[in-house]
Amino acid sequence: MDLAQTIAPFVRASNHVFKQLLDLNINKGQAEPEGDNFVSQGFTVMVGLTGGWQGWFFLDMSQDTAIKLAGLMTGEAYDNVDNEEVLLAGAEIANIISGNALTDINNLNSGVSIRLTPPSVFAGEGMSMFNVKLNAYSVLLQTDAGNIKINVVMKEAK
Amino acid sequence: MDVKYVNAFIAGLIEVSGMLGINSLARTGLNKRDHLKTENDVNIILGLVGDLKGNVVLSMQETTAMKVASKMMGGMPVTEFDVMPKSALCELSNMANGRSASELEKIGVMTSITPPTLIHGRNMISLISQVETVVVQFSAQEGGLELNIAIED
Repeated sequence: MDLAQTIAPFVRASNHVFKQLLDLNINKGQAEPEGDNFVSQGFTVMVGLTGGWQGWFFLDMSQDTAIKLAGLMTGEAYDNVDNEEVLLAGAEIANIISGNALTDINNLNSGVSIRLTPPSVFAGEGMSMFNVKLNAYSVLLQTDAGNIKINVVMKEAK
Repeated sequence: MDVKYVNAFIAGLIEVSGMLGINSLARTGLNKRDHLKTENDVNIILGLVGDLKGNVVLSMQETTAMKVASKMMGGMPVTEFDVMPKSALCELSNMANGRSASELEKIGVMTSITPPTLIHGRNMISLISQVETVVVQFSAQEGGLELNIAIED
């Protein structure tokens, strides 16, 4: 399994979902190195993956961007990330992206059959995520609503 | 959510903690989570898929986390919350949930679990699995621990 098999389907799915669901274009995508930890911009949605390959999908953005995305999704104005609807909107976006990406991965790699856990959302200051199998590179997607960072942790199940 | 599932998670955590040298762990309370804020800066999340679908989050304060990690590593002093204690805590959570999964298997509930991820930060708010979350409180010499169980039946 390499980056083309793991993170690329999530990049494609993000591109598609942001365009279709939120009418948001991704202007530029670039790789960004991560250290031992995945460093959050303030708002992270995590979706767990199990099956032949297991791991996590991280969708990360600033709290400001999360508020904007929730607004684009529901058409309402939010002023605080403390609002449950903002968290739910973020969870839903990550859920749709990972659903799309997994359809892709499962079609391309026979026998892998990955399944998703429900998304969980974390927001806070100075957050970092630690996982032993973290990808050394995240993909930073630049949009009009702000930078959105994605990372995928993936390993073969024993 | 059925209480027999909750018991499997409690049993798994207590058994594995004891094995790793945290002997004083005892359950002190159980309630529903009614707010998004969490006072704990260390959260270890694990996902479940199968007959049960959801997430389990073990959370504690940083000082507790360092003491637990130190105990697990045979009393080696932990002064900084870096990769070493983080990976120790991930392993604790992984083993505890693995144990819980085999408890669940005994009552005919088959699940597979994701590898753990540790989230560290301040002033955090969180929404786990988008469903009602059961919080089980534990206390130990090292400090308080909380197990957040958010499962869709």
